[in-house]
Amino acid sequence: MPIFDAKLPRGLDFTHLNSPTRQKYLIETMGGGVALLDYNNDGLLDIFLVNSGRLTDPMRGPELFDRSASQYWNRLYRQNPDGSFTDVTKAAGLANAGDGNYGMGVAVGDYDNDGYPDLYVTNYGRNTLYHNNGDGTFTDVTTKAGVAAGGWSCSAGFFDYDNDGHLDLFVTRYMEWDTQHSKICGGEWQTYCPPAEFPSTTNILYRNRGDGTFEDASLRSGIGSIKGRSLGVSFADYDDDGFTDIFVANDGMRQFLFHNNGNGTFRECGLEAGASLTADGKPLSGMGTVFQDYDNDGRPDILVTVLPREVYALFHNDGGGLFSYRSLESGLGLLSAASSGWGVGLEDFDNDGWKDLFVAQSHVLDNVEGIDPMLRYKQPPLLALNHKGRFERADPGTETPIAGRGAAFGDLNNDGWMDAVVTSLGGKPLVFFNHGGSGHWLSVALRGTQSNRDGIGARVRVNGQTRFVTTAGSYISASDKRLHFGLGPAETAKVEIRWPSGARQVLDEVKANQFLEVREPEKS
Amino acid sequence: MIGAALAIWLAFQGPPSEAPQHLHAGIEADKRGQLDLAVSEFQKATQLDPTLAAAFLDLGQIYIEQRAYASAVPPLKRALALSPNIEGGHQLLGYALLAQGYAVEAIPHLEKAKVEDALGIALLEAGRLPEAVATLQKALAKHPDDPDLLYYYGRASGLVSKQVFDELEARFPDSARAHQMMAQDYAVLRDLPNAEKEFLEALRLRSQTADLHLELGELYARAQQWDKAEEQFRLETELQPGSPEAAYRLGEALVQLGKFHDARLELVRSDQLRQDMPETLYLLGKAASLDGDDALAEKSWIHVLKLEKDTSLAAQAHFGLAGLYRKQGKSAEASREMESFHRLQKPAGQTQDSQN
Repeated sequence: MPIFDAKLPRGLDFTHLNSPTRQKYLIETMGGGVALLDYNNDGLLDIFLVNSGRLTDPMRGPELFDRSASQYWNRLYRQNPDGSFTDVTKAAGLANAGDGNYGMGVAVGDYDNDGYPDLYVTNYGRNTLYHNNGDGTFTDVTTKAGVAAGGWSCSAGFFDYDNDGHLDLFVTRYMEWDTQHSKICGGEWQTYCPPAEFPSTTNILYRNRGDGTFEDASLRSGIGSIKGRSLGVSFADYDDDGFTDIFVANDGMRQFLFHNNGNGTFRECGLEAGASLTADGKPLSGMGTVFQDYDNDGRPDILVTVLPREVYALFHNDGGGLFSYRSLESGLGLLSAASSGWGVGLEDFDNDGWKDLFVAQSHVLDNVEGIDPMLRYKQPPLLALNHKGRFERADPGTETPIAGRGAAFGDLNNDGWMDAVVTSLGGKPLVFFNHGGSGHWLSVALRGTQSNRDGIGARVRVNGQTRFVTTAGSYISASDKRLHFGLGPAETAKVEIRWPSGARQVLDEVKANQFLEVREPEKS
Repeated sequence: MIGAALAIWLAFQGPPSEAPQHLHAGIEADKRGQLDLAVSEFQKATQLDPTLAAAFLDLGQIYIEQRAYASAVPPLKRALALSPNIEGGHQLLGYALLAQGYAVEAIPHLEKAKVEDALGIALLEAGRLPEAVATLQKALAKHPDDPDLLYYYGRASGLVSKQVFDELEARFPDSARAHQMMAQDYAVLRDLPNAEKEFLEALRLRSQTADLHLELGELYARAQQWDKAEEQFRLETELQPGSPEAAYRLGEALVQLGKFHDARLELVRSDQLRQDMPETLYLLGKAASLDGDDALAEKSWIHVLKLEKDTSLAAQAHFGLAGLYRKQGKSAEASREMESFHRLQKPAGQTQDSQN
């Protein structure tokens, strides 16, 4: 019996357009972000989908991606009480969004603590911050906020690195590239070039000043002192020092682990921490990433999706600031050695108390089957259930192969069972509705008072399971901010919270099967 | 009458005295690298004395130096006609003919000259493959570092192999070996379904054939189907318990599947069957490390480093040791190993980042 029913709900009529050309511009194969957020606070998750745009073949300078035609717009779909969706893009003021830029991904966070989630859309070109006005509309505040970035941005995420109660913003950038300096690789196969063909570049850290503007803290913090080819980003406090750390998935090189020094600076320590290369010292084609505790030892682990023949990398947090490569013993050698992974989530889909793995899959190269008949371009998503730390393949509800890219996770129909939304490059998204089962569950939403309003960065423990509050992770996507815990047969739960402010809170005998909102204790 | 007779006599007597002079002048011109002048002198010598075999030979040789092989053939043939055992004649004519693609015609001359390298190539070009392989093998024994010879030897061997396999397919199309051969061909093309089908058919016909399970396992390993690979490698180890290769491959599959303890046993066995194999020792270290046996991991990787110094496998062993020492709290040792690891990394930027 499959866990999911994969379908396209009524009203969700989005088609991603990437406009592939004979020039094999690398941007064509990288887009397709998705976000699950409740933009109107009606208690139902809505879906925001990032479109890419129109390319000419070849592109001529200056690069301008005309997205005035409605089929190239990003789209916001409001969920209706009956589970259908309504396209509210125009009404929300998001029509024509991204014009002039080629769309990639999205981050979600309430950067001004007004109780409404804001959107940050990444592009090849200029990124856009949309302030949620709280009345169903958004306003482009990029210029005022100072977060346009530039270059080629991919995944981004909101987090509070200095615990000042205001969400900061991390933006990954892939490489120094433009259409005028593009290349075609693969000889007679004429395909996309590997990342090493183009210069690396820096990521960006924006510090939230708390007045609606951001400061580029990349250099001061040390984030900008190292160049990568970054596609994915995830956050967690891996060494339990109370400050959120950053993991960055890099393509074709070593991965970055930025330790938060707690004084506004970071130190990249991936190699010495053992979270940078495979057990053989080999680099990874890192794309998506998730930073959560998969084996219920209380410490956040790192999972990175990669290309075939590399195996999705699982860096187990051993404590003491050290990680060990556990891909093979966790079962990922069998599950992923022939797959290419992008969006990724560790969520408890069967409510048994162990976080399961879901990966949106597809090769980068649309003609890979001609180059290597043993590989496939389109692939069905991977669902692997977690059996006490070892993953085993399960039926995701569809064997239909897609060009999977973004993936976001949340309980769309508020039935206590986690769902997933996956984007398909140049195609329609798929929604994976969880059939449910018998296990109990608890959904926890945080309401910060001293900390940022959504408690992003808090560590929450429920009956021995640990989650770090984040909407970031996966690949160019943003997930529901609510924390989902499967409780198995337990009908009550003990909830322990460490807020970013340092405040600690314990709730005993919390009844299962409810959406719990926990308010941070006020300063005494 | 007398005058006419004198003229006839002079005509008869004169040239023989001048032909050697032109021959000598040609040789001198050749020494100075004046090839066109040498040709002219040798031509005069042959015109003045059409029986002067040495002049024809030298003329042919100069043409060969000028890569004018077609021009070289007539004077060389003439030289050999005048003096069938003239030194270098058969060799030069054989070269000239072979260079123009007349391999069959070149062969008797090269045989007489006993020039094994050119003869081997001529035999190969003439399609006399077994003789070509044997001749080129002899030539290679004398000149083991000649890349051209290595190329032609490889090509001849490959063609012999193909010829034999074609015969196998034609005469015994339903044999296990024919299916094995077809499976190998499909495997080269990365055609997994057909290669798998042919291997399975070969196994159905003759399940006890050595290496069949190994080859099928390798096919599955290339396709990253490690569970199927494990099954085939295990069958091969049962069939050939003395095969270090089968034990190594089974160990590798078990590592991929996270069965580290079983992998260790197979890799230890492989190491015992064929000692000092760096790949086996490295993988044994990895399996031991992942299985929690740090002592065996350290011992295996140090052994790798005794065998390999500057290879990628050595880099991997240093990286493994660094992780091991870091876990044990031996920071200095870990740093030392990481330094060695970095030193051996390729500068292609694959693992290096760029500092601003």
